[in-house]
Amino acid sequence: MLRLFGRRLIRLVPVLFLVTLGTFFLTALVPGDPAVSILGPEATPEAVANLRVELGLDQPLVQRYWDWLSSAFQGDLGNSLLQPTDSVVELIRASLPVTLQLAAMGLLMALFVAIPLAIWSAYRADTHVDRASTLLTAALISVPTFLAALLLAYFFVFQPDVVRWAAVVLGVSIAGAMVAGGVRRWGDDTNRAVVIRLGGAAAVLAVTALVFVWFPEFPRTGFSRLTSEDGLGENLRSAFLPAFALALTEIAVFTRLLRGDMISTLQEDYVLAARAKGMPVWRVLWSDALRPSSFSLVTLAGVSLGRLIGGTVIVETIFALPGMGRLVVNQGVVLGDFTIVQGGVLVIAVFYVVINLLVDISYLYLDPRIRRA
Amino acid sequence: MPETPVLEVPSDSGPAPARPGRIRPAWLRVALLPLGVVLLYVALAVMASLTVWAQAPVVVVGLAACYLGLDALLFAIKGRKVNTGFWLAVVWVVGVVVLALIADWLPLSESRDTAATLLETPRLRPDLFSAHPLGTDNQALDILGGVIYGARISLQVSFLAVVIGMVGGGLLGVCAGFFRGRLDAVVGVFADSMLAFPPLILLLAVVAAVDASALNISLALALLSIPTYTRLARANTLTLAQREFVLSARAMGAKDWRIIAFELVPNVVRPLLSYSFIIIAVLIVAEASLSFLGVGIQRPTPTWGNMIAAGQDNLQKTPHLVFVPGAVMFVTVFALNKIGDRARAKLDPRASAI
Repeated sequence: MLRLFGRRLIRLVPVLFLVTLGTFFLTALVPGDPAVSILGPEATPEAVANLRVELGLDQPLVQRYWDWLSSAFQGDLGNSLLQPTDSVVELIRASLPVTLQLAAMGLLMALFVAIPLAIWSAYRADTHVDRASTLLTAALISVPTFLAALLLAYFFVFQPDVVRWAAVVLGVSIAGAMVAGGVRRWGDDTNRAVVIRLGGAAAVLAVTALVFVWFPEFPRTGFSRLTSEDGLGENLRSAFLPAFALALTEIAVFTRLLRGDMISTLQEDYVLAARAKGMPVWRVLWSDALRPSSFSLVTLAGVSLGRLIGGTVIVETIFALPGMGRLVVNQGVVLGDFTIVQGGVLVIAVFYVVINLLVDISYLYLDPRIRRA
Repeated sequence: MPETPVLEVPSDSGPAPARPGRIRPAWLRVALLPLGVVLLYVALAVMASLTVWAQAPVVVVGLAACYLGLDALLFAIKGRKVNTGFWLAVVWVVGVVVLALIADWLPLSESRDTAATLLETPRLRPDLFSAHPLGTDNQALDILGGVIYGARISLQVSFLAVVIGMVGGGLLGVCAGFFRGRLDAVVGVFADSMLAFPPLILLLAVVAAVDASALNISLALALLSIPTYTRLARANTLTLAQREFVLSARAMGAKDWRIIAFELVPNVVRPLLSYSFIIIAVLIVAEASLSFLGVGIQRPTPTWGNMIAAGQDNLQKTPHLVFVPGAVMFVTVFALNKIGDRARAKLDPRASAI
């Protein structure tokens, strides 16, 4: 087990090395002289030459890469080139928590919606509910994140009444469908199932009423840090819409995947045996079928977390959040500050690679077959 | 994009079994089509002076009625269940491609030259029966024209990128899968480390290095699609290289290049092609994301992404600046995904690859 872990760690080294190499050369090969872009086109050649020496740009490329890499190992990614010059590490330290929070919230929200939805569609495969959820996921996959974010911003911030009434219509129709199903099956189903249906309908109505009455006012832009004096509530309120926008695509991808895996698990004999023994449906679905169906979901969730960390740039731009994406794009790419691009891309790529490693390791816990192999 | 095995409905050819709640006489269902058209006309022409909130439900109901009616009509004509959604997707994509090709000859209002629209009214609301059917933007440029010319750029860029990715990545993958050994290892490490970068960040870093012309963006997007195609081609080649026809070609004395060109490539092309629709959809979104972030193709040359970006500042007052190009892009991506799913199920025997 430990040896397996060690082997995975060792395999990480060449990939990380290539990532640093790629990051450095991608940005070092920018045509045009960074010194010129800092000083402007009217700078004297002497000033440019001085700045080049100061920045180490007169050194050969390999030497520059080595210097950059060794100082990166010591936790120094250099200073940003443009005024005000800050330490890139400090800039990243300020931005990274925002991005991580968004990515984590987006992932959790996606799982929270996708797992029940997928279980239900798999259990009721090929019914109206399943078709509706298939259509919904196909549509969600086709909505680009920036469009989703703008839609959410428009409706949740500018037209909250529309969202509230839409929630009421949706909640009432779901509850109505549940009640209708209960009434139709009255007699040929156990009465307990009918009671559960009615209880579920009541719960849906209660949640709908809560949403309608206490619909929070979401800010269009801005971010309230967890450490600020406004506390957790304000923090969650400012992060909700961006995280939700990120979650939408993931909901679709997760639901599709888990539904497919779940359908094949539900055809296994042991599921039939569990049902034949008289285990309640929810118990079979939740504790017997979910775990063996969730391997690919875990992989995908890990990949998604990595992708979300790199993908928050869009929601950060739309909702004006001070995260990594905005740092890399607005201060790095747009203004041409290549040390910020190098540092930011490196940190994001390292996160991406490490998360993939963690996903691999999590298999050992989930799947005993790999553990004993 | 992960694909899940979906339980297929057995496509029975006889009349559909009676389901409760289904409208029974067939002609009544076909009549939904004209009803839907009438509803759409009422919503867009008669109710044009009302608010969007009054129009939107009627439009939705009208579209649903059109779809169900068309479904029933095709069923009545063909005598069997037709995949109406798929054919609508094909019609949409073909329509967008054709409009993008003939855009120069269409009677569109000015959508690219801001100097020509100085006297026009900016931010007109969409009105289907006017010179600006989808309204005008902040600089009074026509949105319909922008959407069509934007389609031209989106399609051109992502199509070129897919061709480059398919040829380059495909050849690389076929060679890696055929020769194995050191070449395979090098290609594998290359593909893995390309995939170690989050895609959008990689694109941004590349675009930071070059100026944002359509060609450069195609090349950057091709960089994204190459590792995917490489893996796909390699996986397909690995199984094909074991087959008898490769062995028999070798026994007849065919050289390596001949086996690759005449035995392997023709067989690998089909699964690669079947993935291309989905990859084009992904790349359209990627290109739009770059334009949206302001590092892609710049205004006033219209692309879907930069039209949306230009409209987002007035989101509250003129949401159509964002949502009209957004809706066109959504439907296009949706249609491409739909076609891609079907193509993959048909053309790629190992549809669960990747």
